[in-house]
Amino acid sequence: MKSWKISGSPHKGQAAGGATGGIAARSSSADGNFDAMSKQQAAAISGPRKQHSALQGYSPLRYMPPSRSASNDSNALLKQSRRSSHSNNRPTGGANAGHSASTTSFTTDGSGKYFQDLDEDWSAVIDDYNMPIPVYLNGGSAGTADSLSRASTHSYPQLPNLTGTGSGSRGTPGPAVVPETRTPTEIAQERDVQELNSMMARITKFNALLSSKHILNVKELRQLSWNGIPKPNRPKVWKLLIGYLPANTKRHESFLQRKRKEYRDGITHTFDEQNHQRDIPTWHQIEIDLPRTNPSIPLYQFKSVQHSLQKILYLWAIRHPASGYVQGINDLVTPFYQIFLTEYLPASQIDEVANRDPAMYMSEEQTVQLEADTFWCLTKLLEQITDNYIHGQPGILKQVKNLSQLVKRIDADLYDHFTNEHVEFIQFAFRWMNCLLMREFEMDVVIRMWDTYLAETSQDSSVGGATTGASAGADLSAPTTPAQRTVSTFQTPPSKIRTEATVGASPSSPLSVRSFSATTAVTKTTASGAGSDDASGTRQSSSLNEFHVFVCAAFLIKWSDQLCGMDFQEIITFLQNPPTKDWRESDIEMLLSEAYIWQSLYKDATSHWL
Amino acid sequence: MLQFKLVLLGDSSVGKSSIVHRFVKDTFDELRESTIGAAFLSQTIKVESEDQQEVVIKFEIWDTAGQERYKSLAPMYYRNANAALVVYDVTQEDSLNKAKAWVEELKNKVGDEDLVIFLVGNKVDLCEGSDNEDKRAVAATLAKQYAEDQGLMFDEVSAKTGHGVKEVFQAIGQRLYDTKKEELATRQRGNGNDGQVDINVPRPSTNDTTGCCS
Repeated sequence: MKSWKISGSPHKGQAAGGATGGIAARSSSADGNFDAMSKQQAAAISGPRKQHSALQGYSPLRYMPPSRSASNDSNALLKQSRRSSHSNNRPTGGANAGHSASTTSFTTDGSGKYFQDLDEDWSAVIDDYNMPIPVYLNGGSAGTADSLSRASTHSYPQLPNLTGTGSGSRGTPGPAVVPETRTPTEIAQERDVQELNSMMARITKFNALLSSKHILNVKELRQLSWNGIPKPNRPKVWKLLIGYLPANTKRHESFLQRKRKEYRDGITHTFDEQNHQRDIPTWHQIEIDLPRTNPSIPLYQFKSVQHSLQKILYLWAIRHPASGYVQGINDLVTPFYQIFLTEYLPASQIDEVANRDPAMYMSEEQTVQLEADTFWCLTKLLEQITDNYIHGQPGILKQVKNLSQLVKRIDADLYDHFTNEHVEFIQFAFRWMNCLLMREFEMDVVIRMWDTYLAETSQDSSVGGATTGASAGADLSAPTTPAQRTVSTFQTPPSKIRTEATVGASPSSPLSVRSFSATTAVTKTTASGAGSDDASGTRQSSSLNEFHVFVCAAFLIKWSDQLCGMDFQEIITFLQNPPTKDWRESDIEMLLSEAYIWQSLYKDATSHWL
Repeated sequence: MLQFKLVLLGDSSVGKSSIVHRFVKDTFDELRESTIGAAFLSQTIKVESEDQQEVVIKFEIWDTAGQERYKSLAPMYYRNANAALVVYDVTQEDSLNKAKAWVEELKNKVGDEDLVIFLVGNKVDLCEGSDNEDKRAVAATLAKQYAEDQGLMFDEVSAKTGHGVKEVFQAIGQRLYDTKKEELATRQRGNGNDGQVDINVPRPSTNDTTGCCS
């Protein structure tokens, strides 16, 4: 494993052992740099760690305690973190990292604690607060006093399956050490049970949130959704997250009626040859692109589906002349279409959606509803990334540039290698931006990714650039994107960060910039009062595009070791066909968490690079 | 080994990617996802020198996206190209007009006098047989005449059946070798190399702004 130059770590290479990464980081003195974090991160994803976890019947992705609960027992900490809006308990990695940081800030000696905590919390937890499962400290991370005490004070609901099945010791919440003598079958069973339980718990949470009789708490929904949305809830939640459905549930029905009628009228008008001169080139372009959209998924070969998508894309294109139809938008429409389609299938057949012809089970009326919902959600999504598709595609060029600048700072070795090989970022990253990485992953992974992406969308229309104004004002709650992360993640005393910056390999380390903004941010938040959710000060820079760049960075850096051993041709070929065929949800969750961490670290610095 | 940079240009869906995949991998997919930005592939061929020696030529191929919106990216890829394959679809009349526009642009924007431009009519399989003759929208003679007027190489191919594809690249390789060999000979004498001459010693930059390669 290569070293991470960003902070010129004194414990270079210690984490190289994969499974031992956490321990190495823990034992090293915490000088406050993020070097070990990146290593751990790499260690956590690498094979050995996974293998290790499996052996122990412990999945780092599943069974860690929610960080919110984790801080519950640490009384003062909780208040502190609340004050910094930390209690919003954002996506796993970040929230946990944030927690760690805050721990550090109140532990004056600091040493050891930082990484200890970091390791325990962030290593791979994807589902945090949705996982009401007690921690089992058998995951290879020997229980530190800190984690023991946290584990023992959890107040999760006791899950019958856990206490009732299997051997006793493992059913008890708390620091039970599971004997290593369990058979693989037992381990697998237990894992299944726990997964099922956590899934049920998630569904319960979503159902509870969604069943609100009045105004939905979209903010909480965003936080919850970041870590994945249960299949049955997905259509509705996506519509809420993207800002299509209003938060006021009482208005849902009338709202949908209105929007569906609007769409129907739009279609009628557009396809009425007397009123509308058909834009032949656009129509033709869409027509030739649809048969080759997701060619490996049977759903998209059905004529009924192509017909629906053609209407949606054409209507969008002529209503947005500044952009018009651009290849790639045909990719972006499909997750919406496919997910909303599941609303018209019985729950037991949801998984069959990709193989069945909608014409066989949908009425004409339902088809229009589906098209309308898809159209409006696509419209909402594209509003946020308009610059990607207008003339010259400035949004994409900017993102590619940001990506290169980011990689230059996160992984200088890789960046230098690219420079030496004359690899330019635009040669491989253009598509990543243009299709939001959809071409890089299988559809089920993309859909999971979109749970997070839609949770990252901002409903502040000013963020998205040019908007059509259509359907504006529908949202009562204007939920905040969880952009407070910057605040919550940088509780480390500024002096510490500065030290780190001077240690850093790069003299122009963005860390120094960050220390300043972190300080101001903390002050600001503190001034605004404890428990304040006011994020208006930090929000405007948050957007889907920005987060996406960090995801791309994490994706690229994932292959860093391999890429550094390749020449130009091998690099480009590899990046055009990255080995992601076998990726599962847990892999993309890991990637998203990594991206979140990078964003927490570099968010404020990015604006200074360009 | 000689390295040449080749770029594919042409209207959307005329079969640029399919031609490259036929040449590089000898495969054909009826449904191939649209190219976004550009795709890179490479392949080597052998050409004959005048003294009957085999010379290995490596093509670095940039397969560009055809949609109009991506047009602004194209200069990045054709700027340092040694050869350009300008593709049209023999069943789509308008695609020849697009091809002509690309030829114009290449002639205006690429300084290299030796740039080899090959006009390729794809999808001839669609109009094979007496039943399908009416599907042809561009007469071969018409395109050929245009190519001659412009000093382009020309042929019709089918990426689907593979008809004529290899020959196109072979012809380009031979032409490039023939035009470059004098230059090569001079260089070879100069540095006393063992014949391992790389025409594009520095990798051609695709970046318009930096022009980092000397």
